[in-house]
Amino acid sequence: MIRLTRVELRRLFSRRLTVIALLGALALTALMLFASYQQAKPLSGAELSASRAQFDQARKEFDLNGAQQVKDCLTQQAEIRKTQPTADLGCAGMEPTWETWGKPQAKFATLMPEILLGGSYLMAFVSFVIGAGFLAAEFSSGSMANWLTFEPRRMRVFASKMAAVGLGLAPVTVALLGLLTAGVWLIVGHFGSTAGTTAKVWGDLGEMGARSVALALASAVTGAAIGVLLRHTAAVLGIAVAYLVLVEAVFGQALQGVRPWLLTLNFQSWLQHGAPYLVEVCKTDAQGSYNCQGVEKILAFSHSTTYLGIMVVLIIGVATVVFRRRDVS
Amino acid sequence: MSTTTAELAISTRGLRKTYWNRKGRHVAVQGLDLDVPIGGVHGFLGPNGSGKTTTIRMLLGLVRADSGTMSIFGRDVPRHLPQVVGRVGAIVESPKFFPAFSGRKNLQLLAEAIGRPRAVVDQVLEQAGLGDRGRDKYRTYSLGMKQRLAIAATLLKEPDLLIFDEPTNGLDPAGIREIRNTMRSLGEQGKTVLVSSHILDEVEQVADMVSIIGHGRLLASGPVADVIGDQTATSIRVGVADLVAARRVLTDSGLLVRQDGALLVVMGAGDGAQITRRLAAHDLFVNELTPVRADLESVFLELTAEEGLETAGLPR
Repeated sequence: MIRLTRVELRRLFSRRLTVIALLGALALTALMLFASYQQAKPLSGAELSASRAQFDQARKEFDLNGAQQVKDCLTQQAEIRKTQPTADLGCAGMEPTWETWGKPQAKFATLMPEILLGGSYLMAFVSFVIGAGFLAAEFSSGSMANWLTFEPRRMRVFASKMAAVGLGLAPVTVALLGLLTAGVWLIVGHFGSTAGTTAKVWGDLGEMGARSVALALASAVTGAAIGVLLRHTAAVLGIAVAYLVLVEAVFGQALQGVRPWLLTLNFQSWLQHGAPYLVEVCKTDAQGSYNCQGVEKILAFSHSTTYLGIMVVLIIGVATVVFRRRDVS
Repeated sequence: MSTTTAELAISTRGLRKTYWNRKGRHVAVQGLDLDVPIGGVHGFLGPNGSGKTTTIRMLLGLVRADSGTMSIFGRDVPRHLPQVVGRVGAIVESPKFFPAFSGRKNLQLLAEAIGRPRAVVDQVLEQAGLGDRGRDKYRTYSLGMKQRLAIAATLLKEPDLLIFDEPTNGLDPAGIREIRNTMRSLGEQGKTVLVSSHILDEVEQVADMVSIIGHGRLLASGPVADVIGDQTATSIRVGVADLVAARRVLTDSGLLVRQDGALLVVMGAGDGAQITRRLAAHDLFVNELTPVRADLESVFLELTAEEGLETAGLPR
């Protein structure tokens, strides 16, 4: 089994699709680093002068009319608070100050979780594609039959292939997410601020990173399992894209009740330890007017863990039975 | 003389496989009893769609049999296939490898999977005549080279039994000769070679023994000379001016005669002199006398005709 897994690992990293997909992931990682650089880099001299001029203008304006504007704001806020007691129109912050003017300083502690989330989605997708292609290509090329004439114990063959995609892509994900984190740390440390990156922040990032690796691993083996079922990489990718467009984008938007079962929201919840989502609640009030309001709900981490876990086990289970029993041509 | 399972490389009893597709149910193999003795080249002959490849796939555990038993070197398969698979090298239909990898890389992966040292790969590539093309991508190989690579792959295991399924399909004459020589040479080395084919000539040229299969059943089996020779050497094509009179004379002599265009075909004649003597006695003079060399189709038709008589309960 170890020998077979080793062979499969060699094959996995010799495949063109694997190399291209990983180079693509590396390129997108570089792009994310560039985006974080854009976000963190300070304004140029010209931009700073323009910003200063805008600030001076705003300051002058406030000096002239600010008192009245604040007064109006407070009046308006008081009116609104009759029906919404917690409403805050930000009247206290109307006075422009140079500290809060223009581009805010980038902070590692706030920027990194967002970037890590993007990186995790990227690696989950890349792992899925690599896993699907790894198994599907064997069936579509017919080489699976050849392989089985050398090792006819199908369960061993299946397990070795699954182990290879999991074991092979987990360290790659760790490396790419590590590269992303280190890159953002250096960029933000140089141009922005890493202050406030406490042990808790690192702990949260570490946990999220671990969940990202687990998600990439699950995506890889699930992709491989679907590859076994469909036997063509293009078919797997076609179904994945159709799912994203039809179910996630169209169906998911139209039917709010299905949102807790959408994969992307569950991925987000799994990665961020719970995820908010909006549900529009409409009702007729006492005055007879029909109002709709967006209500924020939280998709619990436990929900996404259970749901995604069941999905993965189910797909791999079906693929195992099919691989064991199906005639190979 | 009966052969025990231990003396057989392959044995099947009552082997059956049915496929279901959009057109409905298709019985590919129906109750096949096949014995392949150890050593030499054994032809597995039958027209396309007769169940040869399905039988081979079942033996190799690629396809599940509906019923029946199979054994390789006396071990029940597919149950004990892992124990005997190291002694079996097989090419099923066309060779199938990873197209983006080199021939060498493909073989290295297979060698590593079965725990053979990498050095063996170069040896078998040399043996198969691919020493200088081993590093080229598989997809750039010609059909003949692909077939040679497949043979090299079977040799990785140092097998005692080699199964070649239609090995010369699509090859040029030089490639066909090369494959035939390889099979013969393996047979002479004491290995058992099972070669499936729908080409009678091919089997005649390389095989010592032959099993003929039709509609998923065994029609005949034995030494090539007995099985194919019986069916091919007995027909004689006769050219004569008065076909009607000649046909009557020969039929009255107890021979089976049919007309084939401007000629008569006499079946079960055995001796051409007997025909000329009988016709000459009636002033009918032969202008052509050719022994008919049967193709697989006619052998097959003859065998299935016999099978039909047998299954209908009529005397043969």
